[in-house]
Amino acid sequence: MGHLSRVEMMKIKFGQLMDEAASAALASGRVGPELGLFVDSLMQMRGMSDLPGEAVAGAALECEEPTELSPHALDMAFAAIERGAQPTTSRSLRYHELSGLPAGLVDAIATAEHSGGWKRATRGVSQLRLDLSGRSRTELIRIEAGAAVPPHSHKGQELSLCLVGGYSDGTAAYGPGDVSIADPSVRHQPKADDDGPCFVLSVTDAPLNFSILDWLQWSTR
Amino acid sequence: MVAKSSGGIRLAGEALAEENREQFASLLVAVAENQDRAAFSELFAYYAPRVKSYLMRLGSDGAQAEEIAQDVMVTVWRKASLFDRRQASVSTWIFRIARNRRIDVFRRTKKPELDPEETMLLPSGVDAPDAGVDAMETETRVRAAMKELPEEQRQLLKLSFYEGLSHSEIAEKLNVPLGTVKSRIRLAFRRMKADLHEE
Repeated sequence: MGHLSRVEMMKIKFGQLMDEAASAALASGRVGPELGLFVDSLMQMRGMSDLPGEAVAGAALECEEPTELSPHALDMAFAAIERGAQPTTSRSLRYHELSGLPAGLVDAIATAEHSGGWKRATRGVSQLRLDLSGRSRTELIRIEAGAAVPPHSHKGQELSLCLVGGYSDGTAAYGPGDVSIADPSVRHQPKADDDGPCFVLSVTDAPLNFSILDWLQWSTR
Repeated sequence: MVAKSSGGIRLAGEALAEENREQFASLLVAVAENQDRAAFSELFAYYAPRVKSYLMRLGSDGAQAEEIAQDVMVTVWRKASLFDRRQASVSTWIFRIARNRRIDVFRRTKKPELDPEETMLLPSGVDAPDAGVDAMETETRVRAAMKELPEEQRQLLKLSFYEGLSHSEIAEKLNVPLGTVKSRIRLAFRRMKADLHEE
């Protein structure tokens, strides 16, 4: 992360596709669930595609030699389906603004609303913890129009993706699809624009994994 | 609904033909829209045994692989409405579910961290964005391009993109120098992407 140490906080610009190591790390899942979701979401929001990498994996799955399951496997699956919850749909989300987000994200949000739900953090700010079972902390933050998150810093780097609405943090202004990365030392105070609530996807405290973002930063150098 | 639910599409080692991919996409849409159990059964017959193989390839024993494969298929049913056939093939979509489920299950025992040395690679700077390329077309072309690759390069792509081995793990596994692994994967992936961009 050499070049990061020179930049405390930055708004990331895009324009390049990732290299094959980064692409494989994302496609295969090697990168981990949080960053996988983060990068996947931002790429979809920006109309970028890494389908070739995932399609290699999809094609490889087709080429697998099938391993037979037990004779009752299908019945057991139907039994589990009948026992379980109703199919996920984006209609059930608490905030309708979020229903147009990338499917993986909508799914994680629906799941989180079902388990923990939104928690009030401070006046005008609430958060939804996404349990992605990885090592980093991933949450959705909702900031009401004109409200601000109290100044804060993090143990590890913080990666933010603006999903809906807009905010500014004193350094730059962010709209849907914009990403920032902040070093632990940075104390910042994101404030939502006045014209509506703002939703941000935030991933924190995942020291090693963020190195994959080298490909994102390439175009800023 | 899929006319040939045995025979052609059960062939191991071969990717699906475009026509079959379209059929599977229609089946999954039928699951989403009508909770169509027959359609689901066909998807199950094709994908569950392959997902099980995938999990065993990555270190699960048979019983665990079976359990996770079932779980993946139940998820396929529940999330069918999130499937968008314009964005990816059913195989790619189910692979994502299986991959994420596997990460969930193995997170305590495996080391999902990136190989630090992978991070030294810089983006190539020569690739053009894929925007505008139709997803189904990409899926078709990826399969065609993979077929054209020499077996050795195809294997490297699978180890890297499908099994998730780092370049150095691949080098160790195949007993090939790391630099060779890197350059061959780069070559194979770029060749594939070059095929994607030419008309």
